[in-house]
Amino acid sequence: MGTFDTSQLLAILPQILLVVLALIVLAADLGTPRGKKRSLGIVTAVGLLIVLIVTLAWPETTEPVFGGALRVDGVGKAFQAIFLLSGLLVALISMDFRPLRQDGAYYAMLLFSVLGMSLMAAAEDLVMLYVAIEIAGISAYVLVGYMREDALSAEAGVKYLLFGAFSSTVMVYGLSLLYGIAGGTGYGRVAAVLLQTPFQLAMVAFLLVLVGFGFKVAMVPMHFWGPDTYQGAPTPITAFISVASKAAGFAVLARALHFLFPALNNDWPALLVAISMVTITLGNLLAVPQRNIKRMLAYSSIAQAGYVLIGITAGGVAGITAVIFYLLVYAVTNIGAFSIVSMVASHIDSDDIQDYAALSRRSPALALAMMVALLSLAGVPPSGGFVGKLFLFAAGIKAGLVPLVVVAVLNVIVALYYYLNVVKVMYTVRSEHEEDAIAVPAPSRLVLVLSVTGVLLLGILAAPCYNVMSNWVTGWFS
Amino acid sequence: MLEQFTFVGFLFLVALFLGLFMFGVPWLLRLRPRKSSSYKSDPYECGLRPHGEAWVQFKAQYYIFALVFLVFDVEAVFLFPWALAYHHLAFYAVLEGVIFILLLTAALIYVWRKGALEWM
Amino acid sequence: MTQLVLFVIFGAITLAAAIAVVTARNLFHAVLWLLLAFFGVAGLYVLLEAPFFAAAQLFIYMGAIGVLIIYALMLTRGVMRQQVPLVNDQWALVAVLAVALLAVLSWLFLQHTWPTVDQAVGPDSLRTLGEALVDPGRYGFPFEVASVLLVMALIGAVTIVRER
Repeated sequence: MGTFDTSQLLAILPQILLVVLALIVLAADLGTPRGKKRSLGIVTAVGLLIVLIVTLAWPETTEPVFGGALRVDGVGKAFQAIFLLSGLLVALISMDFRPLRQDGAYYAMLLFSVLGMSLMAAAEDLVMLYVAIEIAGISAYVLVGYMREDALSAEAGVKYLLFGAFSSTVMVYGLSLLYGIAGGTGYGRVAAVLLQTPFQLAMVAFLLVLVGFGFKVAMVPMHFWGPDTYQGAPTPITAFISVASKAAGFAVLARALHFLFPALNNDWPALLVAISMVTITLGNLLAVPQRNIKRMLAYSSIAQAGYVLIGITAGGVAGITAVIFYLLVYAVTNIGAFSIVSMVASHIDSDDIQDYAALSRRSPALALAMMVALLSLAGVPPSGGFVGKLFLFAAGIKAGLVPLVVVAVLNVIVALYYYLNVVKVMYTVRSEHEEDAIAVPAPSRLVLVLSVTGVLLLGILAAPCYNVMSNWVTGWFS
Repeated sequence: MLEQFTFVGFLFLVALFLGLFMFGVPWLLRLRPRKSSSYKSDPYECGLRPHGEAWVQFKAQYYIFALVFLVFDVEAVFLFPWALAYHHLAFYAVLEGVIFILLLTAALIYVWRKGALEWM
Repeated sequence: MTQLVLFVIFGAITLAAAIAVVTARNLFHAVLWLLLAFFGVAGLYVLLEAPFFAAAQLFIYMGAIGVLIIYALMLTRGVMRQQVPLVNDQWALVAVLAVALLAVLSWLFLQHTWPTVDQAVGPDSLRTLGEALVDPGRYGFPFEVASVLLVMALIGAVTIVRER
């Protein structure tokens, strides 16, 4: 029996605070009358803000804690900050999404999901990893199917659950293989044994595990659940899954490739290059004909995952930093876009792109914010999305992935078409409802302001942000 | 190790035999009422006649009880080895188990106060 | 020798029941077969000298999960009675893929010499497990997180299921 070093608790202080926060929200839910539950969103958001500050203020450690279960290093911290920020913004837009029944359990599930993801980002043990993925996953299934009376939401929940359970089963089979090969669950030990393991066996284990990670990331061919789930889920949750869940998948993938599968260092890049190419192309091509904005953003987010895979494949300080930077930009941008979708849907009860006609006349601020978000997603300067793509492509070229980067650049042009199409509908198409302004409640206004300033600031002040992040990443490579 | 399970295996065989025996004897002896009537094939010989089918749709409420049962079953499996090692554990290790229980208690209280455990 | 015989018996029970699960036309019967398959796995655990896992398998899988699945079926009375087709038009492709996967995996597994523990499982194994579960240097942290997982699952399931 080892001794217990209480300083380990400090390393997981943000996670402890998240659990406490979830319990506070649940307790507050019991004492809040039915009509006032909306205020629980504020409790959640403020709590997440505190945890975010604690996470950022805390010095990162390079030493693993709890017998190697976790390593809260710079990369882990950066990803945790992205999840916390996403959770915060999503809690704020959830408060104003009208179809949603306000309830403490909803916000608690959101917090549990953030908790699971933040553990995923730091897990360096197969058991820890699996428990963390399940926490993030199960709470996400509940959130997707939360509007049970709504047939689409229920269907989305069931689809997400079935795909999720299937991919997680395949993944846990892969994890059990790794345990069987190594006789231990720590990343370090498994990685060392894998170096002496026949290539085929290691590759099979890698592929099985990749299925689970790929589901979270929604990369081809594990993307089928995406559009239906995105469309049916409550819009704030769509934003959450498209951003935080995806980022969590990348966090796990990056760490696993670096610390768990160094034995396959010469083999996985080719595979990921192929997956990345197909993911980017398929996502963009299928986004073009979509008429429902949530479905369009779903396919676009599949394509965005493909771009991020470039950074993952490139690896090194440049690659991983580009991934983190891009995911941060993407979080701010995509949640901003979905917050507008959520407000429009609360007002006119529709997600059709054609119902965005004349949004510029109905609510100029919303249309402007949407345009900024879409242009950032497309990668138009001077937005953060442009700089983020630049970093990813630069890392790709540096790592010699020129064909992949060429495919990605060509795809950016395709993507521009469907993003601009929405802008065109908002600004040039007339509508008979032009007088009917869309209300923007205070929490959503805050999200919009944060999103727009975030997109622009990350574009303009990219260099200092990039330097901070690359300092966090260097710990992996020194 | 395996010898200790001889009794379990024996019990298993006895149980299997009893079940097969009860089904087998009437079948072998071709036991059936000389005059068959619908009353005689009722599940119960006295009381009200059964009405409708046995396979009725349950209330979703019952499902919650099964769920709560499952969660606490898993908890028991987690806590059993911990309880067994109790005398060999340091204080903080005992505390870990207590936290484990307290967290689940909090969840139970929440679910309870929400009225999810009301029968019907 | 006894071990081999018992292994074949329990393995056969598990496999046969598992095949019956996917071929049973009535969903309710499929669940009952599934319980038998769970039982077979419990037997395999006993053969692996892991009586605690055998008991857990009976408790959780045959007990709680069996009840849970049956309740779920009772909620959907229509589905229970329906004689749904067991295959769709892609079954041939899937069967080929599944058999190929089985062949590849079996071939790989048979080639590899797996690390084994020479030491027999001692009488104190359960206590050792209990200590490892709460040892912060081993599984103490995942253990606590597992409790959060259970809390989340309980609240989430109740939130979804509760009638409004």
